[in-house]
Amino acid sequence: MSLEYAKNDWYAVADIFCLRDGPRRTRLLETDITVTGPAEDATVTDDQGNRYPVQLKFDHVWTTLGDSPRPLFDIPEGDEEGRRRVPCGVVRVNCSPLRAVENFLDIAHFPFVHTDILGSEPHTEVSPYKVAIREESDEVWATQVKFFQPQAAKSAGDGIVTDYDYRVPAPTVAVLYKTCPPKPEAQDVIAIFVQPVSETVSDVWPWMALYDDASTFSEMAQFQHEIFVQDRSILENQRPVKLPLDPKMEIPTRADMTSVAYRRWLKKRGAFYGALRDGA
Amino acid sequence: MTTRPVGLTRDLPAGRVMHAQADGKDMVVWRATDGTIAAWDNRCPHRGMALSHGFVRGNRLACLYHGWHYDRSGRCGLIPAHPDLEPPATIHATQYGVVETGGVIWVSADEAPAPDDSDLAPLRSFIVEASEDALRDAQEATSADGAPPAPEASDRVSVLCNPIEPGRTQVTVLTAPGLPLPRLRTLSRWCEAMRRQAEAKETA
Repeated sequence: MSLEYAKNDWYAVADIFCLRDGPRRTRLLETDITVTGPAEDATVTDDQGNRYPVQLKFDHVWTTLGDSPRPLFDIPEGDEEGRRRVPCGVVRVNCSPLRAVENFLDIAHFPFVHTDILGSEPHTEVSPYKVAIREESDEVWATQVKFFQPQAAKSAGDGIVTDYDYRVPAPTVAVLYKTCPPKPEAQDVIAIFVQPVSETVSDVWPWMALYDDASTFSEMAQFQHEIFVQDRSILENQRPVKLPLDPKMEIPTRADMTSVAYRRWLKKRGAFYGALRDGA
Repeated sequence: MTTRPVGLTRDLPAGRVMHAQADGKDMVVWRATDGTIAAWDNRCPHRGMALSHGFVRGNRLACLYHGWHYDRSGRCGLIPAHPDLEPPATIHATQYGVVETGGVIWVSADEAPAPDDSDLAPLRSFIVEASEDALRDAQEATSADGAPPAPEASDRVSVLCNPIEPGRTQVTVLTAPGLPLPRLRTLSRWCEAMRRQAEAKETA
């Protein structure tokens, strides 16, 4: 049942660069598929020859295995003039796709996991912020999130207090909007598109749309890639591997309001793929 | 749960953390700055992170993920995201029994009695990719002829097994105290011979 639900979402299965070297053999929701380029006209097929719908969006190739897919969300800021859009490649992580999203929504780990980059002791405090499930869009939003960061982005010099907004538009996607050091009136956009290989294996596609004229493309992609590799050391060592939805299994604190809302939202939607439903 | 040997005292100095497995349970064993030792379920109650990746701050163990501190009783003493908050007493790492005798660290899930206090000295603790049965067979086979490097009666060799998963055994070897260094080297070679034979048999 949880698999049936998951099949009707769209998932990134390639970026615009990775198909240049030939088709990508991969796995989505335990189904082996082949993504064949070029990205602008990609095809997705399984080993029985079934062909699945394709969209090119956010510099990634998206597909769905379901018969009645929910519409793919939008990130309108990505199209704004002057932004540089950076698909950062793929990181394989042996974790639940939902644990990967939850970690992306978490700031309290910055000083310990991304030490001296996204956070540093003694600046560990998480101030109160706002969390809501927006009814009109049925998305989880966390706003007015603030955190002190020694090097918030490739373009940041000294430490700054960074403002964040977080958004979960689909169970395996998280988007953040954060202070843009060279352009204070705008926000950088960073997202992760998680391709659920199975309930316990994830291919994570980080993507950015930034105002940054100073860094090279590969410097920006490398920065984000390094951050995510640090997250991997956490994500592969959480037990149980699947995300527990029973609130008794893992004890949250105030800083975890986003995670609490995300777990409730998954439960309400019935998005159980990658989740542990009972206290088992 | 039986009391199981999971390592040597000398391999866990103050301020260090190690991962241990016994009777199907994943554990973290760590030593505070003041020298006291603790063994817990290897899971932070907050977000399930393995505490064996954590770090020691004074007499507390901190989780690597969000830096939550736990004192030796397992109680959470600090949540860095809210430094002024008194953590609720319900946030607690699950404790196991741990004792040290004769330079060996023993753990148990309950208040199992400590093993007989022995005067033996630890030689080595190592992992063998073989079952306990295969290891015991190898111990017998490599000891039978009495030729070097096989142990002699005066070595008082004792081999302790901790089966950690099918085909994987943690082995702790003890000897008489005060053996001369050349004798310890010989017995160390015997440990290697025993391991090779056990693993060869396992893959055969």
